[in-house]
Amino acid sequence: MTALTIALLLLGLGLAAWLAARAKAMAFARPAAGAARVHSLPAYHGWYVALWAVVPGLIVLAAWSHFSGGLIYQTVIASPEAAALPAFDMQRQAILGEAYALATGGADAAFNPQARALVPVYEGAIAFYFWIGLAAALISAFAGGAFAYSRVSPHFRARTRVERTVMAVLLLASLIAVLTTLGILVSLIFESVRFFSMVSPIEFLFGTSWSPQMAIRADQAGSSGAFGAIPLFWGTIFIGAIIAMIVAIPLGLMSAIYLTQYASPTVRAWMKPALEMLAGVPTVVYGYFAALTVAPAIRDLGLSLGIPASTESALAAGLVMGIMIIPFVSSMADDSIAAVPQAMRDGSLAMGATKSETIKKVLVPAALPGVVGGVLLAVSRAIGETMIVVMAAGLAANLTANPFDSVTTVTTQIVQLLTGDQEFDSPKTLAAFALGLVLFMVTLALNIVALRVVKKYREAYE
Amino acid sequence: MSDLAFPLDPTPTDWNDAAMQRRIRKRYTAERRFKLLGLAAVSLSAGFLAFLLITMLAKGLGGIDIGFLTGSDATDPAQVGIWGAFKGSLLTMIVTLGIAFPVGVLSAVYLEEYAPRNRWTDIIEVSINNLAAVPSIIFGLLGLAIFLNFMHLPRSAPIVGGLTLALMTMPVIVIAGRNAIKSVPPSIRDAALGIGASRIQVVSHHVLPLALPGILTGTIIGMARALGETAPLLMIGMRAFIASPPGGFTEPATALPVQIFLWSDEVSRGFVEKTSAAIIVLLAFLLAMNGLAIYLRNRFETRW
Repeated sequence: MTALTIALLLLGLGLAAWLAARAKAMAFARPAAGAARVHSLPAYHGWYVALWAVVPGLIVLAAWSHFSGGLIYQTVIASPEAAALPAFDMQRQAILGEAYALATGGADAAFNPQARALVPVYEGAIAFYFWIGLAAALISAFAGGAFAYSRVSPHFRARTRVERTVMAVLLLASLIAVLTTLGILVSLIFESVRFFSMVSPIEFLFGTSWSPQMAIRADQAGSSGAFGAIPLFWGTIFIGAIIAMIVAIPLGLMSAIYLTQYASPTVRAWMKPALEMLAGVPTVVYGYFAALTVAPAIRDLGLSLGIPASTESALAAGLVMGIMIIPFVSSMADDSIAAVPQAMRDGSLAMGATKSETIKKVLVPAALPGVVGGVLLAVSRAIGETMIVVMAAGLAANLTANPFDSVTTVTTQIVQLLTGDQEFDSPKTLAAFALGLVLFMVTLALNIVALRVVKKYREAYE
Repeated sequence: MSDLAFPLDPTPTDWNDAAMQRRIRKRYTAERRFKLLGLAAVSLSAGFLAFLLITMLAKGLGGIDIGFLTGSDATDPAQVGIWGAFKGSLLTMIVTLGIAFPVGVLSAVYLEEYAPRNRWTDIIEVSINNLAAVPSIIFGLLGLAIFLNFMHLPRSAPIVGGLTLALMTMPVIVIAGRNAIKSVPPSIRDAALGIGASRIQVVSHHVLPLALPGILTGTIIGMARALGETAPLLMIGMRAFIASPPGGFTEPATALPVQIFLWSDEVSRGFVEKTSAAIIVLLAFLLAMNGLAIYLRNRFETRW
């Protein structure tokens, strides 16, 4: 936490600089009649000097915390005490690590006696570089502060400079979103390229056999390491886009229709937040509920119908996921029904149509593009959903259309491949990133199409 | 009309005619049926929510006691508690809030108040809108590849979880913040500019304080989402067995939803009660956060 100490010290210095510069500017803030007008308020002078004091210090501090670890290590290795260390790399690293933990208070007792001898060396080196870092940070802070303080004068345009800095900070903050998007793309593509150098993309995208267990020995049976992802894609579509939508579209659409067209204001005021709560329940809760309550019920239902049913049936996961998706469908349907011009509704009612006829023949067809957009967004949400399928769907990569059977999904497999020990050169681990890339691309495409459909529809009625 | 042997139009026009009465009755039945169908859809959805909550309460209420609220993870279901996981969640949320809130608000201010209309601004807007729709597990993959493999931050630590969730929460705050800033009427900006305030002063003295309730509401909703998020934390290894609460941001920790996931995998029957109890605690927190957001919106938001 030494870097934190220096950072806090720098902030204290910044405060002092702010007060000093403001006091200096206060002296000329209210000029006598006839004197030249002051450009900036005292506080802006304060901010200007404080920025000059803190920012160079923080830059030095960042550089120091980046390099000091290596420098400390070099000093310790070069010391006479370290000459007695075993030459074997792993052993030496273990002793050094132990000595470091002892020196920084991370451990209480040494396992290896050699580590004890190194502790004073480590403590000396850490203290030495701490003082160097502290001195460098303080010198740069004082130099920056003094330079800025000397510029404080009635004509100095402190406000302009401070505001320019603020604008730069604002721009930097908004660039973080672009950096995140780039980070996602680069990391997914980078690891996927490594995966596709081991497994051909054709096999991955069109193969029908998925068993990512790699053979540790060449003669091991049953661990062929097949990476055909079609069963995964099918499982994802089956649960997320078919079963879940069969549940969510009728329930969501009818709920939206009832709440906007029939319900009294009191019912609407209570039921709308209740439905929205369905989207606020954490998915891990849905997953637990699906595994604990829904899945056994589905299995019993299947057995009573004479169908051999799995405990991890696609139906259980899809059903619960459909319930989770209802608010997405219903709120989009709600918005697009509300956006249908009142004149169309009035016209239909005036012709003698009943309310339900108006809804079925006029409102829903007119609102259809918005509803379709909402359904596409819901599908993209459903296929990216992880916890429900991890907890309630299976791991067996079956290519089946029987809802009582077990299927697996892309997200389940990503979690499965990346938990436990990870080696970043095995296709098993890298396959997760390739699956992630496919998932990212598909959800992105669905979202873009959905937003375009909704936008076009809004324009039609404006 | 009745003396015509072959009526040209089979539709009855006489209101008292039996066929007309039948037709009207049929249409009214269809009307009632449709309305009932809607009512059934709403009650089915709400009923499922009620069923879920009641199931959890029935199974878990007995598991909540002082030992459960103050203890940490253990192998014996009678000994387990959630304080360790809760503290992990708390540390993670502090990191998330500390990064997502300033970055989100600053981006929202820039995009809404200062950004010039050009290609760069379009790229920023498109990436924020897309990030809001990216599945959470993708953020987990990002955290694994960038924070753990590239930057070598400690595995299973709240700081990595917090960073990952911050990237996920930030777009939510930006979108809520932009809407709040947009709803401040232009006349306020014009008045401030008119008496000589600079563009930065207009925003920091007038627009931001007026938009703050809306921004806070969006932030709380985003944080509630982050608090319930499990998948990204699994990716970065926050699923360790933690027998004592984490002491700092860089120590191995787990989070409340991940703890629920871990307990749900246990075979021992005793864990069913504890898992449900942990779910009750998590849901209570989410409910409180959403309640606070609604209160803030109703109490402080000005309708112009």
